[in-house]
Amino acid sequence: MGRDGIAGLVCLATSLGLFAATIGLPEASLLVPIGPGFYPRIVLGITVLLSAILIVTDFAGRARRPAITAGVPANYRLVLITFSIIGIYIALLPSLGFRIATFAFVSVLQVALEPPRNRNNWLRVLIVAVVTTLITYLVFERYLSVLLPRGRWTDF
Amino acid sequence: MYELLLSGIANILQVQYLLPLLLGTFIGVIGGALPGVTIAMTVIVVLPFTFGLDPLQGLAAMTGVYVGGSAGGLITACLLGIPGTPSAIATTFDGFPMARKGEPGRAMWLGIWSSFFGGMLGGVFLIAATGPLAAIALEFGPWEFFALFVFALSMVAGLTGSSITKGLLSGALGLVVTIMGNDPVMGAPRLSLGIGFLEGGINFLPVLIGVFAFAQIMSDIEKMGPARPGQAAGPVPTLTVSHLKVIGEIIARPFLLLWTSFIGVLIGVLPAIGGSAASMLAYDQAKKFSRQPERFGTGAPEGIIASESSNNANVGGSLVTIMAFGIPGDIVTAVMLGAMTIHGIQSGPLFISQQPKLAYGIFAAYIVAHFLMVVIIALSARYMLRLTTVPKSVLIPIVLVLCVVGAYALNNTMANVYVLLVFGIIGYALVKFGFPLAPLILGVILGDQIEINLIRSIMTDSDPWLFLTRPISGGLIALSVASVIFALWQHRRYRKRSPQSDDDHADF
Amino acid sequence: MKKIITTAAAVALLASASAFAAAYPDRPVKVIVPWAAGGDTDNIFRPFAPALQNHLGQTVVIANVGGASGTKGAKEAKDAPPDGYTLYVPHEYIHSTYYTGVADVQYSDFEPICMIASTPSVLTASPKTPWKDAKELIADAKARPGQITVGATLASTSHFFPALIEKAAGIKFKYVSYEGLAPRMNAILGGHTDLTDSNLTQKGKVDAGQLKFLAIATEKRHPEMPTVPTLKELGINVVYDVNRGLMAPKGTPDAVLAKLESSCAQAVKEPAFAAAMKLQGTAVRYLDRKAYAAWLKQTDDENRNISKDLGLLKR
Repeated sequence: MGRDGIAGLVCLATSLGLFAATIGLPEASLLVPIGPGFYPRIVLGITVLLSAILIVTDFAGRARRPAITAGVPANYRLVLITFSIIGIYIALLPSLGFRIATFAFVSVLQVALEPPRNRNNWLRVLIVAVVTTLITYLVFERYLSVLLPRGRWTDF
Repeated sequence: MYELLLSGIANILQVQYLLPLLLGTFIGVIGGALPGVTIAMTVIVVLPFTFGLDPLQGLAAMTGVYVGGSAGGLITACLLGIPGTPSAIATTFDGFPMARKGEPGRAMWLGIWSSFFGGMLGGVFLIAATGPLAAIALEFGPWEFFALFVFALSMVAGLTGSSITKGLLSGALGLVVTIMGNDPVMGAPRLSLGIGFLEGGINFLPVLIGVFAFAQIMSDIEKMGPARPGQAAGPVPTLTVSHLKVIGEIIARPFLLLWTSFIGVLIGVLPAIGGSAASMLAYDQAKKFSRQPERFGTGAPEGIIASESSNNANVGGSLVTIMAFGIPGDIVTAVMLGAMTIHGIQSGPLFISQQPKLAYGIFAAYIVAHFLMVVIIALSARYMLRLTTVPKSVLIPIVLVLCVVGAYALNNTMANVYVLLVFGIIGYALVKFGFPLAPLILGVILGDQIEINLIRSIMTDSDPWLFLTRPISGGLIALSVASVIFALWQHRRYRKRSPQSDDDHADF
Repeated sequence: MKKIITTAAAVALLASASAFAAAYPDRPVKVIVPWAAGGDTDNIFRPFAPALQNHLGQTVVIANVGGASGTKGAKEAKDAPPDGYTLYVPHEYIHSTYYTGVADVQYSDFEPICMIASTPSVLTASPKTPWKDAKELIADAKARPGQITVGATLASTSHFFPALIEKAAGIKFKYVSYEGLAPRMNAILGGHTDLTDSNLTQKGKVDAGQLKFLAIATEKRHPEMPTVPTLKELGINVVYDVNRGLMAPKGTPDAVLAKLESSCAQAVKEPAFAAAMKLQGTAVRYLDRKAYAAWLKQTDDENRNISKDLGLLKR
């Protein structure tokens, strides 16, 4: 199965699952002639239809489609690492507080994206992390009255 | 009207508004000039800063980013041959050859002054057309709005990306996002999957930031090697040039300037096609109308004028649709719409009459930003080139932090940050599977409106045929069908020409 | 190690808790307005915020949390920590949405602080309608029951007010969901709905011929608009106004409530606030904690009865 087929199946499964979830919804009332499930069912019907078309055309087009030629190999490992770092950052943000978590995040992500090779590189990583954290904190908290999360564990 | 405009300009020239506008324009120029950082990304980064400002300050800053970004792209396009933003791609075709022939100053300033004039022509349209279009929009009942939003969505889904099915599916998935959470009329809980914060529905801004920013950033990260030195900028060439001569060169081609600006405005008014399409189309038109089309690509001034005047005029056009109809023309205006919602301002037909100070403030900011843009580029073009050497490993973490802050600050809850992350992953996956993102985002933005207008229509009159028999509504629905058919036809023709059609880039 | 962190955290928490009790407020106070800005509630509380700020000694920020007939903001306010840093602005909708089953939040989930303003409702018609006055409307409504459209936020005040007229005059309207005043105005200016509930803030549009005021729901004619008859004069016994106040989540300390109450009492006396309310077609109506609590109790019963009379009662 090709790329489109997989995507189509995922969309189809999601749509059908959500469609099933609309079944228990209240029906039309005296006041509103269409119930809360009416429009969602139309939308999900459309996604079901389009996903099915995608799957069918994927199967139908397989013979014709030439093999995808790989260009520069994409660095998926780094993408995965980046997503993980962001995930951990977001998970820890309410516990560590904005300042600590952000400092750690900016440092770690820089190191992950481009490992420092000498002292100057390391210094740059730290400076960027400190400056980013301080400036965002000061600007938002002090001047823009946007309250950033405080740490539950650290109260900082 | 002109009194309102003049007082708007006087208003915007006060320090409290001029400063955010100036900063916005400056950041826009930088963001525009940095290859890989699009205007949309820049405006996303600026968004959280506007939460604490008053509405006009925030919108002025965003207008500045928009105008500055549309011009900033030409600096790197002309001098390095790398388009700073997608809308400057067509500028590289002739800008870079001209610069290499020893006229970098002429290339860059042709671009800047074309941006300026194109933008001003777009501004004339913006100011003249918003009011009348809003008056037309006032005549729109729920049927017409329903049809209009469906039309906007069908057009975007049809015209972006290589697969029409995927485009439409992407738009429909955007609508799915909006059906989660309480129903809009009686608040009955619906499809919240047992997750508490989903009950209130999903806010479109974290979705937009997540889908768009993550897809873009992750596509950049894919291309990063474990150790790749940042590219070194060559010596900065001399940029001095006679401005009068350059302006003369542009004014001497009034038809070209008017026509390409018109194309820019038109593409801007149509939802979500975007500046890059405008400049490519304008470039193509300039070539077709030229008596010496073979000169294009070798440093023809017409090429630069066409590309740059159209992409700035495009900004004016996009602002019209958002102010008159509340439909964002692209990501930048979508973010502006979000900023307005945060400040609780309703865009749409009554916006200009109920918020004249704000509306004319935006017009004024748009005009003033063009002057600021010229001054900023004149003073800082040489330093901008140095900035392009800032490594991605530094830029990416900073942008991500601002995305998180932006999502959090929407209403000071982590819920929106989780939405950001989830949709970041979904957005990246969609790009990897070859789905265009623009329809998804437009679907998320318009979904609520499509539903509520559908319900209002049926509540007003239970006859479903009214959608087709009311002239404007019927016409718009016919146009929606036509745009899908046109896209199918175009796609078929395109596939006949080139059997291979796999492209993986995030496109908006 | 873990123990140290927990202890440190506990100490820090206690320290911050006691510091906060000593000097409320020591950081900005957020007021949740459960509708979009530019609506009536927002227009009333925007000028109130600086007045309150003057007497509270801290910045007061308005946060518009609109959606789902105002219940999204109510839910958010209910779930906020009861520390006096998140306040909430209700009006009668809190009762009506509860009894009609739209919301799970009710007035008793909050501590009343004070009532500040009262806005009389005005029955308003689109310029594209043929009626010159309310009498013609009622005659027309009797002739074609269930065909005259009313733009309203369902189960909220803009729905209950016309519903009371329906009942008193023995007529029947058709309701169309338009949440918030701005979309309602949009629809009525374009003639997409016939009637709506509005208030004296729309006077400018009436003078410009874009809207028609048919009748006002006050006891006596309003001095700002003496040409508009009251519903009572027309033989329809309906008096209706929308009253807005300030509340805090249940469990907010008494000292904090007292501080807020006294600041509120002073804030409503500011001339700038009074002037702003006059522009809003609204009367300053101050009730202290006790009086507001009693008023809420009484209004809650009334709304329960109205919901029942209209056949909308779900609880």
